Amino acid sequence: MTFLEQVGQAAIVQLEDAGALTMQFWSVLLKLPRILPIVGARRRWRSAVEQMLTIGASALPMAGAMSLCSGFILALQSASELRRFGALELVVEVIVIAFTREMGPLVTALSVSGRSASAISAEIGTMVVTEEIDALRVMGLDPVEFTLAPKYLAALITVPCLTILSTFCGIFAGYLFLAFSMDMSLRIYFHAVAQAMLLRDVAFGLVKSLVFATIIVHVGCLEGLRVRGGPEAVGHSTTAAVVKSTFLIILADLGTTAIFYLMGWSSTG
Amino acid sequence: MTTPSAAKAGDAVISIRGVSMSYGGRRVLDRVDLDVCRGEILVLLGGSGSGKTTLLKHVLGLAKPEAGSIAINGVDITRCSQSELSAVRRRIGVAFQGGALFNSMSVEDNVALPLRELTRLADSTIKLVVWMNLMAVGLADAGSLYPPELSGGMRKRAGVARAMALDPEILILDEPSAGLDPIVSAELDQLILFLKRSFGVTILVVTHELESAFHIADRVAMLYQGRLIAVDKKEQFAGHAHPRIRQFLDRQPDAMPRVAAEEFIASYLRGSNT
Repeated sequence: MTFLEQVGQAAIVQLEDAGALTMQFWSVLLKLPRILPIVGARRRWRSAVEQMLTIGASALPMAGAMSLCSGFILALQSASELRRFGALELVVEVIVIAFTREMGPLVTALSVSGRSASAISAEIGTMVVTEEIDALRVMGLDPVEFTLAPKYLAALITVPCLTILSTFCGIFAGYLFLAFSMDMSLRIYFHAVAQAMLLRDVAFGLVKSLVFATIIVHVGCLEGLRVRGGPEAVGHSTTAAVVKSTFLIILADLGTTAIFYLMGWSSTG
Repeated sequence: MTTPSAAKAGDAVISIRGVSMSYGGRRVLDRVDLDVCRGEILVLLGGSGSGKTTLLKHVLGLAKPEAGSIAINGVDITRCSQSELSAVRRRIGVAFQGGALFNSMSVEDNVALPLRELTRLADSTIKLVVWMNLMAVGLADAGSLYPPELSGGMRKRAGVARAMALDPEILILDEPSAGLDPIVSAELDQLILFLKRSFGVTILVVTHELESAFHIADRVAMLYQGRLIAVDKKEQFAGHAHPRIRQFLDRQPDAMPRVAAEEFIASYLRGSNT
């Protein structure tokens, strides 16, 4: 095979990936209303609630701890520089801006991606291998509506909630640092936080977290549905799901940040 | 034996005409013609890789053939719309190889699922139907268990109960006795015969287990390398002269690789001598 053919082949594979992702996204989007309580099919929203518990609630300790740690790291790193200018208070601003815009959504997405993208692809991959997906189709039930859509809804609701909580954890880590290093009181700290926090930044972070949530659940489902053959294929799919979703999250982070920057929405003051 | 639908016996419920399929240049199904008549048990025999699973997927409308047609109750499922396909599927119950039960639901909920999703029956009625179906397969006291807690045979029977939930005309069973011990396998055969006797369903069984095949079948069909090499009443089938069928029935190993190897060595030696 010539080099040109290899490049073409690789491009076709990537394009097929993108195409499959888009197709699946549409089919799920059309089915989402069926999952909602009252307007949707009866009982279906309950499975969405179950998914919220597994995707969202159980990721809480992990996301919280990761944010607490990275908040502390950020405080330590920025303090060593800011101290030279005698502006240790600015640590508050650094942490608030970094967490609302960037770290909160990213740390949450990475922790959920590690836990749930693999879990989703393993669950759906197993359903493919044990013919449960076929069974649904044969029974006249749409697997998209039945297994995929509740996961999407759950991720879209819980990941932004987790993002808010982990942003709070990160900012709280900043307080811990400042309380120890310069005896700052909680009152003063949160006053400074309120000064530095902008609604625009919070909204920006939440938009990002919605994008990340979509990526996680989307890649997890697609990799799961692609499983062919025996149980060992499920293992491959979980690895692929985590690797791809992590990579796509970083890529999407860059994309959204660049858009916000270019539109001039991210300048402070 | 008289079945409720014996009067109508003879007309084809499933009729497969000239179905061909290939994956990556390899012919998996080659112009398969097969009729499954009302009220009979047809057993589709075949070794691994003979194409029987692929044929089954086509009959269920999970895959579309390259050529040919499959009519179920007169509706060609290879060309019909999605809604027609759904209507046809409502009349078919399928028990998959491993049961394909949903692990997150109890056995009862698994059997109730098609009733809850596809009918407007009241909860009390659904409960009764579920109980009757579990009773029929001998799992009446296992309803609250979850699939991972069941043995292989129980899982298959639960799969049959779910397949029977909507009272189908056609029941399709994929490898009902694979991986089961002889006693459990015999119980499943009993169950299949019982379902045919008492509900008059048409049953298509895909298997490679000879003993159970000849025990339950009215007619036996055999697939080999994607081709249907024989369809016959089971009495005639047992005396069939086709070498592949003889080999299959007499459980003879495949001699071909050894012959090929000997020929290769012989020609190699001839070549090195000259």
